[in-house]
Amino acid sequence: MKQVTARVLECRSLYRDTFVLWLEAPEIARRARPGQFVMLRCGEGYDPLLPRALSIYRVRDGDGGPELGLLLEVVGRGTDWLSRRVAGDTVALFGPLGHGFTVRSASTNLLLVGGGIGVAPLVWLADEEVARGRSITLLLGARSAAYLYPALLLPPEVELVTATDDGSAGHHGFVTQLLPRFAPWSDQIFACGPAPMFQAMTAPLRAVQYRKSCQVLLEQRMACGTGICYSCAVETRRHGMKLICKDGPRFELRDVYA
Amino acid sequence: MRLSVDLAPQRKFGLTLINPVMTASGTFSNGIEYRKVFDTDRLGGIVSKGTTLRPRKGNAQFRTAETAAGMLNSIGFQNIGVRALVEQVAPVWASWRVPVAVNILGDTPGEYAELARTLDGVPGVAALELNISCPNLELGGMEYGVDCDAAAEVTAVCLRATQLPVIVKLTPNVTDIASIARAVESAGADAVCVANTLLGMAIDTHTRRPVLGRGFGGLSGPAVKPVILRQVYQVAGAVAIPIIASGGVMTGQDAVEYLMAGATAVQVGTATFTNPLAPLTVLNGLERWMQDSGEEDVRNLVGAARSIPAATHRLRTAAGS
Ligand SMILES: Cc1cc2nc3c(=O)[nH]c(=O)nc-3n(C[C@H](O)[C@H](O)[C@H](O)COP(=O)(O)OP(=O)(O)OC[C@H]3O[C@@H](n4cnc5c(N)ncnc54)[C@H](O)[C@@H]3O)c2cc1C
Ligand SMILES: Cc1cc2nc3c(=O)[nH]c(=O)nc-3n(C[C@H](O)[C@H](O)[C@H](O)COP(=O)(O)O)c2cc1C
Ligand code: FES
Repeated sequence: MKQVTARVLECRSLYRDTFVLWLEAPEIARRARPGQFVMLRCGEGYDPLLPRALSIYRVRDGDGGPELGLLLEVVGRGTDWLSRRVAGDTVALFGPLGHGFTVRSASTNLLLVGGGIGVAPLVWLADEEVARGRSITLLLGARSAAYLYPALLLPPEVELVTATDDGSAGHHGFVTQLLPRFAPWSDQIFACGPAPMFQAMTAPLRAVQYRKSCQVLLEQRMACGTGICYSCAVETRRHGMKLICKDGPRFELRDVYA
Repeated sequence: MRLSVDLAPQRKFGLTLINPVMTASGTFSNGIEYRKVFDTDRLGGIVSKGTTLRPRKGNAQFRTAETAAGMLNSIGFQNIGVRALVEQVAPVWASWRVPVAVNILGDTPGEYAELARTLDGVPGVAALELNISCPNLELGGMEYGVDCDAAAEVTAVCLRATQLPVIVKLTPNVTDIASIARAVESAGADAVCVANTLLGMAIDTHTRRPVLGRGFGGLSGPAVKPVILRQVYQVAGAVAIPIIASGGVMTGQDAVEYLMAGATAVQVGTATFTNPLAPLTVLNGLERWMQDSGEEDVRNLVGAARSIPAATHRLRTAAGS
């Protein structure tokens, strides 16, 4: 874990309420893996006090080394402050934190499942695994068309299937309803989204007798992001109490949701 | 420049810290995670997570909530229990230069005594810190820390059960913290820590529910500093044993203020969540402050802001009469 003050390279709106923030933080970008996250201060004084957890969305090559991309949905004062940064500003952050996704060498068909801003860590996973020649299908759910991550920003090799709550794009309903069609094809599933989405994944996966690995990135209120405060505890079925920031955020779905 | 301080001057071997900057219980886990982050042997001391006789799972979510320049927590003492601590963690501590105090809490005075006995003589354990901001089940759930007799009793049973120096961590949620401090000093405490978190709450107007799963939680961070600074000042006027200050220490300047109010050492807690290097930031800031003001010995700062020390005051009156 490195703590740095990073220069903002770029900050712009990508779609409804959602911004991409590119940072010059090569020390972090170099060590990071898809599924890991960083903690960012959202201001300079004591208020807001706590750093915010954001997944690493993408890493790209830049003049000064690898650049760190974050995808943030504005939901409160911290994310709002971050969304108003401009090139040349600085932000304090530390990372990379936690354990990212692990792709088994034998897996060729990867099913990615994203709900809302949960798409953030899946994009980089798709980038990397497409480059390794794997087949990727991304099931993406959102409130409405305006909240869907733009297909054009994905590698063209990725098959994108969308669902919206209001039917304004793709399947009318929850993204988890698409699982019976795609899960049997996949060798591994990787998911990120709100807790109700994970809960809703369990029944369809059981129905198709999915016994392979389904890795999920959990989210919880964090204070430290580094395993010292015990804010982010989760009770797992087979391994007892775990800390999402330190032991996760990646867990096996069946170890957390019944 | 002399930075070292002694937290148990009444003891033959004392409890010497190389500098007055420690980490606070529950905000540094058991110190192991941050060995990779910075050289924790540079610290004056580390205080363990709150440890109980048996393992605890802790409270339901949410366990923390951010507030104005502060945070609330109700972690619920999730910990591995004292036996696992002794077997798995203390041996790691034993190889460190930095002394580690174990923060303990029990449901009854008997549990405190058993904890103290279990930790007595364990290599790697330098001291005990009694967390008395928790309910005493034998006293109908009243907190030990709000009652002079209960606080004194739990201090005394621990002192009888161990040779280790005993620090008593007071609760700030009382009307007269000085009288509690006096009671635990009389019971033989080596030092007091002032203080634990201030009881507070936060409400989510969207869900119309308290934010924390447990409703109430402990407030910490910069927001509490003026309150705890006042309490350190009050306790310093009431006891002669060393005081460790805990409440919103973010910078070296905060540490200097606490020392001037009468503390011998400070603990850094919530600050480490916002800046993983905060304990070093505080230490470096304290050193720089001393350099800039030509101060050679950190002990000269202790109580420096106390208007007229009581003893001097009496001497003057005597000389004038
Ligand atoms: C491991 C992890 C990865 C994440 N990755 C992303 C990402 O890539 N993009 C993104 O937009 N968001 C992500 N989030 C959620 C993000 O952390 C919150 O949206 C953000 O903290 C909200 O802060 P705020 O000040 O804008 O909101 P406020 O509601 O004002 O925040 C108040 C407090 O609650 C906490 N909080 C609020 N919502 C959440 C939440 N959903 N999860 C955890 N803490 C929360 C905040 O950190 C803060 O301490 C992630 C969360 C976790 C735990
Ligand atoms: C997440 C968290 C957990 C804590 N756990 C304990 C504990 O187990 N035992 C204890 O005596 N104090 C505990 N405290 C209190 C701190 O040790 C410290 O006294 C308090 O937070 C005030 O200092 P600060 O403002 O620097 O954080 C905890 C505080 C926080 C924020
Ligand atoms: S956020 Fe502090 S332990 Fe996970």
